[in-house]
Amino acid sequence: MMSTPTCRSRFRRRWAMRSRVGLACVGLVGLLAAGCSSASQDSAAQNKPANPKDLVLVQSIRSLSNPYHAEWAKGGEMFAASVGMPVQTLTDEGDSQRQLTQIKQVLASGKTVVLNADPNTTSDTQAIVRAVQDAGGFVVTQWNKPDGLTPAQVGNSWVAHIGFDGNTGGYQTAKALFGAMHNTGGIIALQGILDDVPAKERFNGLQKALTETPGVQMLDQQTAHWTRNEAFQVTQTLLAKHAGQVKGVWAANDDMALGAIEALRAVGLAGKTPIVGASDAVPEALQDIQAGDTGYVATVSTDAYWQGGAGLALAYQAATGKFNVATAAPGDRSFYGKEFLVTKENVADFIKTPTPADLAPDFANPLARNVGPLQ
Amino acid sequence: MTEPGPLAGASAGPVLELRGVTKRFPGVVALDDVSIRVAPHEVVGLIGENGAGKSTVLKILSGVYQPDEGVLLMRGEPVRFRGPRDAARAGIGIVHQEQSLVGSVSVAENLLLGVEGRSVRGGFYRWSELNARAERQLAKIGSKISPTARVNSLTFAQRQMIEVVKAISVEDHAHAEPVVVFDEPTSVLAGEDLETLFGQIERLRSRASVIFVSHRLDEVLRVSDRVYVLKDGRCVAEREPGSVDTKELYRLMVGRASSGQYYREEEQGTFDNTVDDAEEVLGADGLTLRGRFSDVSFSVRRGEVLGIAGVVGSGREDLCRAIFGAEPVDGGELRVGGKRVRFRVPADAVRAGVGYIPAERRFEGVAMGMSVAENILLADSSATSVGPFAVPRRRAALVKEWIDRLRIRTPDSGTDVASLSGGNQQKVVLAKWMSSPKLRVLVLDHPTRGLDVGAKEDVYRFVREMCAQGLAIVLLSDTLEETIGLSHRVLVMRDGQVAARFDAAPGAKPTQVDLVEQMV
Amino acid sequence: MTPATKSAASTTATSLTPLGVPLGRRVLDAGPVLALVLMVVVFSVISGRFLTVPNAGSIANQASILLVLAVGSTFVILLGGIDLSIEGVMATSSLVTVLLAHNDRNGLDLGYFAVLVGAAVGAVFGLVNGLLHTRMRIPSFMVTLGTGAIGIGIATVLFGGQPPRLLDDGLRAWGTERVAGFPRLLLIAVLVLALGYLIQRLTRIGRYILVIGGDEQIAKLSGVSVPRYKMYAFVLSGTASGLAGAMASTQLGVGDVQVGSGQMFATITAVVVGGTALTGGRGGVLQTLIGVLLISVLANGLILVGVNPSIQRSVQGVVIVLAIAATAWTQRHRLRVIK
Repeated sequence: MMSTPTCRSRFRRRWAMRSRVGLACVGLVGLLAAGCSSASQDSAAQNKPANPKDLVLVQSIRSLSNPYHAEWAKGGEMFAASVGMPVQTLTDEGDSQRQLTQIKQVLASGKTVVLNADPNTTSDTQAIVRAVQDAGGFVVTQWNKPDGLTPAQVGNSWVAHIGFDGNTGGYQTAKALFGAMHNTGGIIALQGILDDVPAKERFNGLQKALTETPGVQMLDQQTAHWTRNEAFQVTQTLLAKHAGQVKGVWAANDDMALGAIEALRAVGLAGKTPIVGASDAVPEALQDIQAGDTGYVATVSTDAYWQGGAGLALAYQAATGKFNVATAAPGDRSFYGKEFLVTKENVADFIKTPTPADLAPDFANPLARNVGPLQ
Repeated sequence: MTEPGPLAGASAGPVLELRGVTKRFPGVVALDDVSIRVAPHEVVGLIGENGAGKSTVLKILSGVYQPDEGVLLMRGEPVRFRGPRDAARAGIGIVHQEQSLVGSVSVAENLLLGVEGRSVRGGFYRWSELNARAERQLAKIGSKISPTARVNSLTFAQRQMIEVVKAISVEDHAHAEPVVVFDEPTSVLAGEDLETLFGQIERLRSRASVIFVSHRLDEVLRVSDRVYVLKDGRCVAEREPGSVDTKELYRLMVGRASSGQYYREEEQGTFDNTVDDAEEVLGADGLTLRGRFSDVSFSVRRGEVLGIAGVVGSGREDLCRAIFGAEPVDGGELRVGGKRVRFRVPADAVRAGVGYIPAERRFEGVAMGMSVAENILLADSSATSVGPFAVPRRRAALVKEWIDRLRIRTPDSGTDVASLSGGNQQKVVLAKWMSSPKLRVLVLDHPTRGLDVGAKEDVYRFVREMCAQGLAIVLLSDTLEETIGLSHRVLVMRDGQVAARFDAAPGAKPTQVDLVEQMV
Repeated sequence: MTPATKSAASTTATSLTPLGVPLGRRVLDAGPVLALVLMVVVFSVISGRFLTVPNAGSIANQASILLVLAVGSTFVILLGGIDLSIEGVMATSSLVTVLLAHNDRNGLDLGYFAVLVGAAVGAVFGLVNGLLHTRMRIPSFMVTLGTGAIGIGIATVLFGGQPPRLLDDGLRAWGTERVAGFPRLLLIAVLVLALGYLIQRLTRIGRYILVIGGDEQIAKLSGVSVPRYKMYAFVLSGTASGLAGAMASTQLGVGDVQVGSGQMFATITAVVVGGTALTGGRGGVLQTLIGVLLISVLANGLILVGVNPSIQRSVQGVVIVLAIAATAWTQRHRLRVIK
């Protein structure tokens, strides 16, 4: 049985032609668009103080479904409200490609972009700041950046990078943990994504504390990739592996610590085993520290509200000329932000949500928490 | 007259009848005014060559096709089937050549698929009832296969048994005696299994009518009460086995005399087998591919055309694919230019100088969407390149040369090949292979299928020219006529083995009957 | 006319065992079981802690949720499709369940009914998946990828920045308490397994899913309503995911968008490693059980044995590839086109 070749093949030919033409048109439009956007940015590329009306405020974070970033986003919103502008929140769900694409899309919108970003991994920082530099925007990055790269090397668009010394956080929480253990016994450690700089730094801090405290040994360490349910599963296995020997749990962030608590609870050890999370200070952790019945002893706060609000404020000041990037000291463009060890003593201060009034001084002077230049 | 009761079937008229059925497809008339009658409890055989129209008749009986003209009658009433379920409901059960069973479930589930009825209540299977029903059906042919066995675990012969049972069980729903149609059931059966099948058919007589379609003449003659012979879509004869001899049947199947002129036999070179030491270009010794063909040996010399004849399932198509490297062989030796070769992929064969023109040129021959020139240059661009760089001038010249030589009718070389007529597309395919200087053997798989007379003539002329230039050709053709006319030697394959070899020198050609005798 | 000679395409399959099953196939169906036994032996030899009750309980805890998910997915994979919306459905159902039960965000206290609603949410997702797949002819992996993302989105909205805590003690007990060393959730998992097996063996839904997976054309020609049964499969899978989301919430004590992270990979791997072919028509719920055990034992064992965390994922990957390669070995000729 034969089909009719000619009609179908003619159609196919026409379609092939059309798609070829179509692709060419799309390509042409794309080129034109790229050309137009870069042309419109040329004036801004000189980083002249811009009119607030031409600015668009943006914050780029992992997701809104973890409390830490949710607070960050709120801080940014509070700042934006304080200057009477809206802020766009980009969430990339941990996908580096998506983060870069989202930022590039906003950069192509034509206005001057004021961006406060939490790059997904160390390798993403460079791409992000260069994209902003090319488009003549203003960006503040936090947490992850490649070691040798400094804002001055890239240009005035990269206003500043704020790092947090994971070593301090890891060390202080470890010390607090050991204290609760009376400085004897075995612990297990839950690490973040092994490639992340904060994960490595915090673990280093833990290990430093271990060498100073000979009575405490690390029985085992595993990665739970920053997530609660993985920490739950890993901790279960570790508790079985070292049954009876685990006297304390150290986790590189609160989410993992909270997951570990449930594993402890499942074998009846919750409340009896002290546990710390070396960063984030999420509300649940703070509540646990305050209540004291789950064994949560300490966490570290970088003050996510501050990170979201002051970070954006710094970028905004650079855009409006209030902060002169060109003449700023290197120590003001690449610095450590302040961290706070949160224990039962001071937890009350951190539980409450700050009001715009609380944050106003930080919006006015974002560099106030500069505790030192980045190493 | 019909008796009341669950199984009506004692009527005097035919239980199934095709009357004046014609079925056309674009470009070809598959069936032309075919009339077939099946009386109750009769076994009717249907024979014919490939392409004679057997499968079209079956598709009409099963409701996949509808006749363009003529009518289908069941027990005297005209019927119109919209699909296989209608045919089943009317009482026609087909035992397919390809499997129509679902391997992942049990025998009972397959037998009762879609008709479980009360054996599934409230969505729940009542296995004991289901299995009991299946056992009753299996008992109809005396099969000992367990209804709970998973079909995947059965042998081919067992699965075919289940197909038979399935076909017979249409009687439960039609409430009438079924017409069971066997579609080439014996092509993969042998010995004991074959006898079992024939025994079943005998047993079926008492409660059904049977249509037995096959190309195996001896088997059809053995079981049938009457035999219809189809040829080129027409029913050319109706005989009773006792009153006809196989030679006459063969003659009826193949028909007209060949015309030597058409195949340019005068241009066919001669080979004197005793003196000539023309080098062997392609040779095989004991070539085997499990399940398809075994122990095939042949030798093709420069300038020679070897035709391979055989029916569907004889293994000839697989053999050609193996020569071209599209199928790996399990055993035996293949030689090109006297040197032993091993082809794992077609690319190996191309490199060794073997080209292949496929039967389905639309899918395997030309690259639609590309131009005539691009297609011609597809197989081997070494002649027109310097290292990795294509030399445009050389390419254009080559393309033009072939367009002229083969008289390819195309507006220009940049035209999309999809817009060419079938014959010209075929020529593009030929040119593609011919433009490769390494070519030594060309395998032609149904090269003139679907071409009009003029295009066919061009192809024949081309074949002769290539032979004169020293190319060796292996030819598979639709028609025996073409095979005999073009070839120097003919290999006949049957059931995977070489059944006969013929010399086909001009003036001393074998007849089609000679070939058919060996094919079936 | 010579009688037909025995053709090369002979009638026998490979040699048969007494049960009539070709020997080659038999060995492979036992493959996953052998692999599991081997793994258990190896791990218990290397680590003395492996065969202890606490560790078994730990494996069971992880396997419980995975088993529920995998049983649901088995039906979809038997069809020849795939359900990638697992994590998104778990996320939404987790949030819905916690927000309806006694929690720290609102005043509702629906108890076990909240779990029912969570599972029902999963069923709705399954319905949507099925409809889009059968009516709009969108391939299942695309549809479920999309609905999974929608699930995460809905959950994020419900989440509101901070996970609502589950305060219902009754429900929490299901996630945290043990019975004779084994987690209570295991009971639910076993129940789901039994239900799944019943459906697969006894109901029309189960049987027709197998038929469609075996040969959709034949099913259609036999009058089986293929779209309807495909829908059922997706609804089963969605309901299982919904239930699993609720189960995870009782374990973790919160409604969390990330409650299912990592489960999709684990589920599909478990189903495939257990012996259910991705092409459909082969395998089943019991095979999936073996696959779940394989995955859970492997993850647990690697930690117990002390394999470096940075290469654990790679080791898991290697083991999985080997297992699938072994299962697919017999199929390699039939599947000439690999996508």
